[in-house]
Amino acid sequence: MTLREAAVPYVEFARKAFSREATYRMEVFTSIGSLLIRVYLLKMLWTALYAQNAAPAGVPLHAIITYSTVALLMSLILEVDGTRLIRDKVRDGTIATDLMKPISLPLYYFSDGFGQTVLHAFTIVPSLLLALLIVHVDVPPAPVLLAFVFSFALGYLVNFVVNFLMNAVAFWTLETFAIQISVRWISDLLSGQIVPLIFFPVFLQTVVLSLPFAAIYSTPLLIYVGTIRPDQYLAAFTIQFAWFVCFSALAVFVWQAAQRRVVVQGG
Amino acid sequence: MPIIQTRELRKVFRSVKRTPGVAGTLKTLFSREYEEKVAVEGITMSLDAGELVGYIGPNGAGKSTTIKMLTGILVPTSGSVEVAGVVPYAKRRQNARNIGVVFGQRSQLYWDLPLVESFELLRAIYGIPAERYRRNMDHFTEILELGDFLRTPVRQLSLGQRMRGDFAAAMLHDPHVVFLDEPTIGLDVIAKEAIRTFIARVNADRGTTFILTTHDLADVERLCKRIVLIDNGRLIFDGPLERIRERYGTHRVLVVELSEAYPNFAIDGAEITGREGNVVRLRFDRKTITAEALIRRVTQSYGINDITLEEPELESIIRRIYVEGYDDASASVPAARA
Repeated sequence: MTLREAAVPYVEFARKAFSREATYRMEVFTSIGSLLIRVYLLKMLWTALYAQNAAPAGVPLHAIITYSTVALLMSLILEVDGTRLIRDKVRDGTIATDLMKPISLPLYYFSDGFGQTVLHAFTIVPSLLLALLIVHVDVPPAPVLLAFVFSFALGYLVNFVVNFLMNAVAFWTLETFAIQISVRWISDLLSGQIVPLIFFPVFLQTVVLSLPFAAIYSTPLLIYVGTIRPDQYLAAFTIQFAWFVCFSALAVFVWQAAQRRVVVQGG
Repeated sequence: MPIIQTRELRKVFRSVKRTPGVAGTLKTLFSREYEEKVAVEGITMSLDAGELVGYIGPNGAGKSTTIKMLTGILVPTSGSVEVAGVVPYAKRRQNARNIGVVFGQRSQLYWDLPLVESFELLRAIYGIPAERYRRNMDHFTEILELGDFLRTPVRQLSLGQRMRGDFAAAMLHDPHVVFLDEPTIGLDVIAKEAIRTFIARVNADRGTTFILTTHDLADVERLCKRIVLIDNGRLIFDGPLERIRERYGTHRVLVVELSEAYPNFAIDGAEITGREGNVVRLRFDRKTITAEALIRRVTQSYGINDITLEEPELESIIRRIYVEGYDDASASVPAARA
């Protein structure tokens, strides 16, 4: 079987996920609406904070508003949890039917998540255009933008594997809510999605910047606003890639263990 | 060469032992005691290609566990299993190409999308060549009458339509073996018959091997020549349906409504199996006494208002085997319980 033939089912999974998500149009519109509200609130918050204090870490107000808005636009894609399927399917037992197919399940979930992502990616353009009515967003020169996109893609992969690992916990506990909510809180704070990590006290910065969460939001965002300079790109990409490889290895291990202990609910 | 072969197949589940009460729950959180539950205990069976076998047992007997080991999603604790020359748990994906599965209670179709899109997805999954896909689609569309709702989203289908869709989905890649788990559950009489006809036809035309798990013994009577009975994880009977009928089918039940109470009611040659008010159920073996002779005996000694004769149904036969164990000396498999 050629690689091309082997890829056919996964391309099809992504396409089906895309059409499936597209049937829930209301959800797409509400996610844009909620994004715009958050853009407005963060703009007000940072403006108020900056009126009281000097710009921290030498980041001017327009840069921090750009940072927050781009972070929110990224979340349109990064908050799609394609591997949520694993948890749902383990709980209702339909994972059994998937296991009876000649496919790689991790690749299936990745493709499904990717299909959902592509649909949500389409909402970025209208969201950005509407956001521009509320805030001003700085646009960096093309090479920086390119580096940002590349770093974002790496962050996407790290995010996928982290989600995969969290949802795979369902194989042991059936329920992952407590873990998901804790990881979500920690990651919201430590990924730099809300507050740039360079605002943290110096001793904490070293710690949080070397955690995997930083690879998801912080690295691409700091590239976008110019805090990470072109001569530091290679190092930044390498760290992101290293986290991806590291977690993937862990995911392979966890998946094999999970397959050995499938407990199918009901039936 | 058999298409399915299991030897001394065994599966033990280990689960956390739960202690009742709040204190018990807290205790389970910290110290865990495990208990072992044997789901399948040493099942040896062999199926030839083209057989249509009923795999029967009460809830919790180990049917689903066996099927899951045959489909490769559960690893046996011990024993061996082979399906079409493949060890399912070792080569799950290779095994998946040889098998098809239909669950009556769980659809494998894409809920939000038109039925035909699920078929197209399966075509991609199994890499079914275009020509074969078209041929199979035409065939199934015709005999399952799918034409009217191919473009309807699955969530809008009736249960009968959905089941027909699920059957086509399970058969598109021409599997050698198909596992059917309660395929007619919840269907009306007409839909049930359509499904049964389909199974019989595919079995005859394509030589597909079927393992049918069901509680609806009408399915079994209509479709299977051979049945495998399991209870408490053990195989208690494996053989032709006929043999069970010959062994247990000679019993009849005579239901007599007496004209008065008769506290000491008894009849030679028949066993009282139930009594409700003045209605008495008498079981007898037609080899030792004819119904006519028995009725005469009853009317000679007692006054009666009404009388009916019940034919044994497969269901009551099987219920009896669960309760008493299978005790045919000529059967190849000894009774599991005394």
